[in-house]
Parts: sequence; C-alpha cells; structure tokens
Amino acid sequence: MDMTVPSDMLLASFAAPMQIDTSPLSVLWLLPLVAAISVVYKATKVHKIQPWPFIKESAVLFGSILVFILLAALILYVLAWVVTEQIPNLARQFEV
Amino acid sequence: MASLWKENHALVLIVVGVLAWLVPGGGHFALNERRRAGIIFVAVVLTFLVRLYVGSIGVIDPVGATPWYAAQVMNSPAVLVLGSHVAGAQARAKRLGDPMLAYPVYGRPNEIGQIYTSIAGLLNLLCIVNAIYMAHLRVLKG
Repeated sequence: MDMTVPSDMLLASFAAPMQIDTSPLSVLWLLPLVAAISVVYKATKVHKIQPWPFIKESAVLFGSILVFILLAALILYVLAWVVTEQIPNLARQFEV
Repeated sequence: MASLWKENHALVLIVVGVLAWLVPGGGHFALNERRRAGIIFVAVVLTFLVRLYVGSIGVIDPVGATPWYAAQVMNSPAVLVLGSHVAGAQARAKRLGDPMLAYPVYGRPNEIGQIYTSIAGLLNLLCIVNAIYMAHLRVLKG
C-alpha cells in the first residue's frame, strides 16, 4: 500500500488558497482570531487555571474586544459619512 | 532541583524559552503547568493551521513579506522550513517562468492567512516571554 498518498493529500490541501469573497461576511473570520487571542492572553494571565473561571474570564475578554471593535467601526463609519457626504453638501451650499 | 535551578539561572531561562519556541506551550509544560501548556498549544497551533489552510503555504513569504515572516517564525522553527521551501519554489518559478509554481495567493485569502498566522506567532511570543518570566520567578523563590 502506498503510504505517501494521505500525506500528499494533506500537503496539497495547504498548497492552494481557499476562495473567500470580499464581502461584509468575510469580516466574520475575525471571530476565531479574537477567541484565540482571548484564550491565550488569559492563559498567560490567570494565577491558576480552573475550567469555569477561565472560560468566564476568556468570554468577558472576547466580548470586550468585540465591543471595542464595533465602537471603532462605528466611529470610522460616522467619520467616513461626514467626510464623504456632509462636508461636500456644506461646500455646495457655500458655493451657491 | 531548586539549587540546580539557582546555579544555572540563565541556562534554565534559555532552555524554557527555546522549548516554548520549539513547541507552543512547551515552556509551560516544562514548568509543570500542563493545563496552561495544553490551552496554549491548542489555541496557537489551531490558529496557525486554520489560517495556513485558508491562505496556503504561499502566505509564508520570507522574500516578499519579510516583516510578516519574522512574526510567523515566532510560531515554531517549523515555519523556517516552510519558508525555505516557499523561497525555493519562488526561485524555481522565476527560473522556469511559471508563476504557478510559487504558491501564488492574492486578495482576501492572502490578507487573512498572512495577518492571522503572524498574530498566532505574536501570541506565541507572548507565551515564550510568560514562560521565561514564570521560570525566573520560580528560580528566585527557590
């Protein structure tokens, strides 16, 4: 039996990229990364690792990071709206 | 054991740091922090492998994306092997005039793969520093 086939298949799956659209949904790829950051950061910070308190602390950090990202997104959205829509409108009014 | 640790303070710290770099969580495992080591290992390796699957090994680019590569190398020395393989493939692709041999990756998969594997490396760097600090505290306590 040829034992190289499974390893070749495994390597081949890492040799070509996935197809990911540039759509708003692709932002959801952020969630597993935020989860990993929360878990690893808490694993280095808590004094003793016990399952329930650890999960709770990681979940709180996960939520905090998400809230701050949403706030940053909202501020940037408002800023872009002011710059691209409000300021040109004001400029047009002054021209008239 | 405690006196042996105190006598070889610097050596202990270096060994713990190298173990933590060789295998994510390895430094904490050596310090008998098994749960911590397991969590770090699963989180860092899973993050790295999933993003590598998304972007392919083409996101490990020592020639065209050196700063990202520096962060990716923090995952494990295995990234150096992957990096030299990709650099070799890029050189071969250039020589033969076939860009498909160089693991081309563009757009969103490239972004996700490159940035996220680098963040996995930086997370492991945090764990390396933490393992060395824990080892330092234990040596001081004796």
